[in-house]
Amino acid sequence: MSAPLLEVAGLAKHYPVKRGLILAKQIGTVRAVDGVSFTLQRGETLALVGESGCGKSTTARLVLRLIEPSAGEVRFEGRDITSLDRADLKAFRRRAQIVFQDPYASLNPRYTVGRTIAEPMEVHGVRDEASRRARVEELLRLVGLAPYHAERFPHEFSGGQRQRIGIARALAVEPDLVVCDEPVSALDVSIQAQVVNLLADLQKRLGLAYLFIAHDLAVVKHVADRIAVMYLGKIVEIAEKRALFANPCHPYTRALLAAIPHPDPRRRGQVTPLGGDVPSPLNPPPGCRFHTRCPFARDICREKEPALANGVACHLAEELPPAGLDFSGGLAPNAAKRLALYAKAAENA
Amino acid sequence: MSATAAPAALPEAPRRPSPLRMLLRDAAAAASLVFVVLVVLAALLADVISPHDPFATDLMAIMQPPSAQYWLGTDGQGRDILSRMIHGLRVTLGMGLASLVAGGLLGALIGFMAAFYKRLDGLLMRLMDMLLSFPAILFGLALAAIFGPGLVSVVIALSIATVPLMARIVRGAALVVMGLDYIEAARAIGMSDARLILRHVAPNCLSPIFVFATLRLGQVILLGSALSFLGLGAQPPTAELGAMAAQGRNFLFIAPHISVIPSLGIFAIVLAFNVLGDALRDALDPKLRI
Repeated sequence: MSAPLLEVAGLAKHYPVKRGLILAKQIGTVRAVDGVSFTLQRGETLALVGESGCGKSTTARLVLRLIEPSAGEVRFEGRDITSLDRADLKAFRRRAQIVFQDPYASLNPRYTVGRTIAEPMEVHGVRDEASRRARVEELLRLVGLAPYHAERFPHEFSGGQRQRIGIARALAVEPDLVVCDEPVSALDVSIQAQVVNLLADLQKRLGLAYLFIAHDLAVVKHVADRIAVMYLGKIVEIAEKRALFANPCHPYTRALLAAIPHPDPRRRGQVTPLGGDVPSPLNPPPGCRFHTRCPFARDICREKEPALANGVACHLAEELPPAGLDFSGGLAPNAAKRLALYAKAAENA
Repeated sequence: MSATAAPAALPEAPRRPSPLRMLLRDAAAAASLVFVVLVVLAALLADVISPHDPFATDLMAIMQPPSAQYWLGTDGQGRDILSRMIHGLRVTLGMGLASLVAGGLLGALIGFMAAFYKRLDGLLMRLMDMLLSFPAILFGLALAAIFGPGLVSVVIALSIATVPLMARIVRGAALVVMGLDYIEAARAIGMSDARLILRHVAPNCLSPIFVFATLRLGQVILLGSALSFLGLGAQPPTAELGAMAAQGRNFLFIAPHISVIPSLGIFAIVLAFNVLGDALRDALDPKLRI
């Protein structure tokens, strides 16, 4: 395997919590991201999933150095971008771009679409005025819009169209890495499919690598090559997509997968959802961070923090029964009753 | 000709009306614009269009009601009110606009700096709070004591009094805008801070700035008049609308027009600027330009 495009090692972002007006005293630390490591190959999609507040979006912004990390390294083609100076950072920005979640907040309402897409090229001094305009038309076609849309303002577009504009802006400087921060979760389901397919198509054509932040596992299943599951600022499991869906090792991953809504009524009522809330990252539980909600937790989980080994951070990874999603326990009582009624109705008809 | 397959004509984006056309579409805004232009022209051409010398006293005709000779009547010293108002526009508008522009620009700069550079925020805003705690009249008194009474002192005092208000409004608006994703996108593109502020943050803060500036113009004109009234601003016999209204108060019961006519002038100017500012804000918003 060639050298990865992106290598993240021990990445952390801690926010001090202060109290006091004049002599502010630090009374705690929010560990938004706390030691995250992964790699991303060229042309690959790594999905980062987890509940809200687990640090996915913070990780995304750290990778692009939109916020400064508290610790750790982000190596892009072997160079640590956390220590780049101004000029080098600008050069890096040409190579890595971002697509945002909210298509209504991610476009400047006073810019025409053409200006929005042309601006990255302008900032980096790519091409002259005329060929920039040609490139804007090309990009608009690439994302499924028409060249005449360049004259319009964002408010004249639907959410899905705006997201396409955001993607065109990200592609304007021909990046190698695109961080997609929940790019479809604000869209209607029918539009989600279009945008996800567009992203997949662009990846194939342009050889992009995606760091794909999401909380919707159905979307992730469609786009990702590998999946990293985050909980409270840490990666608890990272694996190839198929392996993760077929055999989730971490209890948290199992709970997430079990929570996917399923159209089969026979499966209804069989899943015990996780109890409780995510603990505060201001005061994460000692030992394994998931032990407060884990149905399998033992003493060791409360005392010792498990390391990420073989893609899983769990003391009991070896011992837990293989999960799978096979519910062979028969029907839930309600579902059975309803099925019987349907059968009866069909007989009478 | 017809045999060759013509490329399908691309649908043309409908032409967007210019901001000026948008402005003129609204009757009240158009009227305000015309009025403001006339007022500014009158102020500029005061020497040409005034029917009388604004300083010439006619002691045989004091406190005259409007007549064919003196269209708006005469004041307590027999000076033509119309001529004095036309000359007074120069002083009043110049004073109001100068202090609004100077104070507003400085305030906006401070507001953007405070919003953008977190480290400066506390320091700058506490300074603004200090300024806010002094009434504008007090600045006027202090400056008059230093530089002597006069219009320059008034303009400086009103500018200083405008700075903290504008800074607060701009900082608030900028903080809201800077939390939006397109600012993050702009950063991810790698543009300079100056470009980010000028192209992305500032234009999206325009609405509250416009509203405040038009309201503040009225306040500044009134404050300037108040300072003139206290004897700190325009010195007699300089014609200034606020000072004229103040001087007429002695005759309010026998010849109310001496006070009322300049007051109506101030009222009309402030109203026109308010309507115009409102319409301008809407005309510059692409969302409302259809």
